[in-house]
Amino acid sequence: MIGNFTKGLFASVALLATVASASAQDKVSVAAISGYFAQGFGVSIVNGLNKAKDEFGIDLKLVDTGNRALDYEEQFANLAKDKQYDLIFVMGWELVDALTKASAAYPDQRFVFIDGVLDSPNMIYANFAEEQGSYIAGALAGMIADKGSAFPKMGDGKAIGFVGGRDIPVIRNFLGGYEQGAKAAAPDVKVNSVFAGTFDDPAKGSELAMALYGQGTDIVYNVAGPTGEGVMQASAAADKYSIGVDIDMCGTAPGNVLGSMLKRGDVAVYTLIKDEVEGRKVTPGTRTFDLASGGVEFKVCDDIASEIPADVTAKVDELKKGVIDGSIKIDRAK
Amino acid sequence: MSPLMRTILGQVIAVAFALALGSIVILLIDESPIRVFSTLMRGAFGDVTRIAGTLLQTTPILITGVAACIALRGGMFNVGVEGQLFMGGFAAALVGFALPMPPGIHMLAGLIAAICAGAAWVAIPAWFRVRFNANEVVSTILSNYVAVLFTSYFTIFLFKRPGGWSETPPIASSAYLPELFDFSRLNWGLLIGLALAVGAAWYFRNTPGGYAISMTGSAPKFAEYGGVNIRKRGFWVLIASGAVGGLAGGVETLGVHHRFMEGFAPGFGFDGLIAALLANGSPIGTIATALFFGALRSGSLLLETDTSASREIITVIQAFIILSVSAQFLVRRRGDAQGGERRWKF
Repeated sequence: MIGNFTKGLFASVALLATVASASAQDKVSVAAISGYFAQGFGVSIVNGLNKAKDEFGIDLKLVDTGNRALDYEEQFANLAKDKQYDLIFVMGWELVDALTKASAAYPDQRFVFIDGVLDSPNMIYANFAEEQGSYIAGALAGMIADKGSAFPKMGDGKAIGFVGGRDIPVIRNFLGGYEQGAKAAAPDVKVNSVFAGTFDDPAKGSELAMALYGQGTDIVYNVAGPTGEGVMQASAAADKYSIGVDIDMCGTAPGNVLGSMLKRGDVAVYTLIKDEVEGRKVTPGTRTFDLASGGVEFKVCDDIASEIPADVTAKVDELKKGVIDGSIKIDRAK
Repeated sequence: MSPLMRTILGQVIAVAFALALGSIVILLIDESPIRVFSTLMRGAFGDVTRIAGTLLQTTPILITGVAACIALRGGMFNVGVEGQLFMGGFAAALVGFALPMPPGIHMLAGLIAAICAGAAWVAIPAWFRVRFNANEVVSTILSNYVAVLFTSYFTIFLFKRPGGWSETPPIASSAYLPELFDFSRLNWGLLIGLALAVGAAWYFRNTPGGYAISMTGSAPKFAEYGGVNIRKRGFWVLIASGAVGGLAGGVETLGVHHRFMEGFAPGFGFDGLIAALLANGSPIGTIATALFFGALRSGSLLLETDTSASREIITVIQAFIILSVSAQFLVRRRGDAQGGERRWKF
């Protein structure tokens, strides 16, 4: 304890001494701002940033936006004001308004908006082909629902479900891919979708998933952040199936999770920083991270994999190949 | 020492004590308190833009603070300012985007809608209070949750702007509160807040109605003996407090965000209550305390980017302030019990 005190005092003196001479643009400096660093997709982004920091020795600053809309604009201005950061990663649709203003006020600052594409031509967009991973999820779920009670824990409702967080474009894109995948692999299977209206309410997620299970929808795809934790729990409680999103969720309800649609935020930020560090300057425009580049992938849970019939696995692999080589086109939600 | 001096000195000691405790926490996270507090100062008052930013953060705390003061004066705790702010903000946005009107009138209509929404939202707890003597602390706290969820529901399911975040369509520019300078979002809201604080102070000091309210709060038996209908008075005190709370939301919507975003401003109602308590229920004092909290908030935004300390350190310091202020109340109340003084001193 005392050690910490003296250390703090020493650090303060040292900092005061060096603060004036802070300079050196020789290494890449990166900031990231979001309100979601502690959850699913945000954690994956932080992992990617830390990996880049460990490997390339970049300067890294994480800023948590908190949840007061009043603060956002000043937070952006504070990050951009000294031209200190080569790239500023931004994640969260509620920040779009403040981001657009900051980008206009600091046109030389390169902002990377993660997870969507906006109107401004000045920004870099790290866009995920979530519709591709969701297509595979939909195909797998659809075929299993088509097998009905021949598959353990399944009924003959011939329906698969989807619980979205908010009704925003990126979530619509997940749903679109999921529906198209199901339609392609199992045309007789219905897709029942609901939106929770919030990313922060596990109880609501659980309630909605239970309602879907009650209607004979035996597989539910969760695209709802923390709300989705409730979906995963509900699948264990009802002993039905769920599909996780963003990160590997097989452990949340072992035996009840078919797989997870991984959205590799870590791959995206790491790739962009790597380009920057290695002298390939990241320029404004859209960078898409898809099935082919490993930006999204569908991972079947190990404990379920053995139960999935060979014909289903073969079909999934075939579709995956088709998506990667471009012979299967998936519409993106507008 | 005069009572006013004693009060001010007490609060200054409370704040200093909280800052000292905060310094210990800062040392524990291996950061320098000197650097943290100097960055805070620079972030809050470093240049005109930053001063404007501080005043921008001060505005909602000031208005919700005045709302809390009005209730405190009348012997009530309006802990529901948060909910009234949400209702007011939503009502103002609704008028702003749904009802086209000429400039000026549109803005006024939006503010009036906000006032009415805030007053209406507190009416139920207020009525329960006077009719059934239901504790207004509990009922107003509960009404906060309902207000936040209610506005969320309407925003997401009825009025959501297509695409994008869960927010209403933008309001018409005819309903904007004019900005004071071109380099900041600071707007007329600050002037409205200052006018309310001065107006409330004047009302309490110089009018019979204000005196009746102060007496209802500090010596209800005396007020009743003097012919004040304390139930009725208490009801209208809460309504007035709620109206001002609603106005705070209207000012944020029409002045800053120009739309209603679901869950846009958590905690302002509570910040206002703390500011009012720290000012001992004085509207003029609330100007100073709201500015103090506004500066902390505004400075903390720079703190986060320029030091390794988290912005949350401000929340810690605020919590220490609440602790030391309430400790002060306890000490005073013990003194009151011995000396026979009244419960609230204003």
